[in-house]
Amino acid sequence: MNPILPLLQFSDATFPVGTFSFSNGLETASYEHLVHDADTLEQYTRSAALQAAFSDGVAALTAYRGALTGDYDVILDADSALLQFKMNDEARLMLCRMGKKLAELGVHLWGEDTLMGRWLSDIKDEKTPGCYPVAQGIAFAAAGIGERELYASHQYGVANMVVSAALRCVRVSHYDTQRILYRLAGETDSLYEQARSMTLDRMHAFVPEMDILASMHEKGKMRMFMN
Amino acid sequence: MTQQRHYSDAPQVDFDSAPEMRPYLAQPDAMYVGCPGKHGYLNLGFELDRNGRSFLRELDRRAPLIVQQELYFDEQLPDMPCVYILSSGGPNVDGDRYVQRFTMHRGTMAFISTGAATKLAEMRRNYSGMTQEFTLEEDSYLEYLPEPIIPCRHTRFICDTRITAHPTATLFYSEIYMGGRKYYSDGELFAYDLLSVCSHGERPDGTPLFREKFIIDPAHMPLRDTGMMGDYDVFANVLVLTPPDKAAAVYDATDAFIDPARHLAAGITHLPSGAGLLYKVLGMEPGPVKAAVRDFCSKVRLAVKHRSMPDEFPWR
Repeated sequence: MNPILPLLQFSDATFPVGTFSFSNGLETASYEHLVHDADTLEQYTRSAALQAAFSDGVAALTAYRGALTGDYDVILDADSALLQFKMNDEARLMLCRMGKKLAELGVHLWGEDTLMGRWLSDIKDEKTPGCYPVAQGIAFAAAGIGERELYASHQYGVANMVVSAALRCVRVSHYDTQRILYRLAGETDSLYEQARSMTLDRMHAFVPEMDILASMHEKGKMRMFMN
Repeated sequence: MTQQRHYSDAPQVDFDSAPEMRPYLAQPDAMYVGCPGKHGYLNLGFELDRNGRSFLRELDRRAPLIVQQELYFDEQLPDMPCVYILSSGGPNVDGDRYVQRFTMHRGTMAFISTGAATKLAEMRRNYSGMTQEFTLEEDSYLEYLPEPIIPCRHTRFICDTRITAHPTATLFYSEIYMGGRKYYSDGELFAYDLLSVCSHGERPDGTPLFREKFIIDPAHMPLRDTGMMGDYDVFANVLVLTPPDKAAAVYDATDAFIDPARHLAAGITHLPSGAGLLYKVLGMEPGPVKAAVRDFCSKVRLAVKHRSMPDEFPWR
């Protein structure tokens, strides 16, 4: 199979892993008027992308390499390291729900007697948390898609989640959101060049304002999105 | 690589292998990395005396770090030893290395702060690095509230903090980072080269709990973007390791807010692995951020020790 086809499939906004339910804190950012137009939305989306670039992205690459070499312990290490690095409740909830969804989907695509089947079984037995970027790593390896493409798809997914949510809660147009996605896509390769040599113990992220917004959403009652 | 001559009996501190420090490994022009006076060491251990009162049993230090003796000045917890860490060297300079170890033995409590803000001086070569170890045994309690850290132009600072906490213990660990010398000359905000800060927690049996790391590289990241620092100049990060029932009480009592009038924002969430809480504050000036951190510490103290924090000294 031409690997570009599963790449398109797994990167599609309608890929059924629940992406549409989450906004990465944008709902609160919009309510607080911090994100109110295309410029502030682009800043916020870039912050979300950078936050993921050197944490979730590193876990995805590590799991991918573990899946390619059949080293299951590397996958488990990436999964637990990422969950221990996620510093807010809703982010952990989001990662685990989407990860389990993708694992279930992967079993339908490749069968139970596969790496994905084993990992899903361990998620159900609560032996591993089941983070989404780790699921992406396993899935992309199974589909024969390249590492650089995995990273690009992962970063695109983060940005697309934010801008798609923005169409429902920020005064921006489709033209604005597509322009933002296109600009951020141009920055992804340089992020990959930095992330590709990073190990799990080097993961880092700095988005304090986003963390505070996530916390306000966690404590608040406003719920258009799950986070 | 930095050629290190290690003449101190304090443990070596070496972050040369950290990728973010690669541009900053040249040997300083002046005093070399790790030379006496530039390799601070502090080892504090608290124990209970025969009357059940906590006291500073172990005190080992190397210049430029200084701790003299514990004082008992907290009116709300008069049996709690309070310690100030001082530095005889003034600001951290290129090639400084520090090690700080704090051990809270079973049932002890303590308050630790610094005598003044920690200034990270302008650097031309190398970096300033620090490792910290906090060990909290059963039912122990430590409030660690140092004064803010002020990074000057072209400074580079890396810190690794390892926390080993018994499930019944409580650690309040705060860090406040200024954007720089805001009112110096024409203003110096985010003019530093690099801050790399990693804090990680584990149980006494080695079970990992969480790992938080942030790297601030103002020249190479859009720090003023919405979602990062935004318009704010001061950032506080507070880790609270505490049992789940105490964490729940503190979480319920603490607001997450953005207050445009005071230009202050704060958020709280749970640490991974049920380890406790994480509290973050953003503000414009150190005063309100320090007050928010202290107010949060008071909530933690109330939940754990059933006492609040006394008013801060007016000169602090």
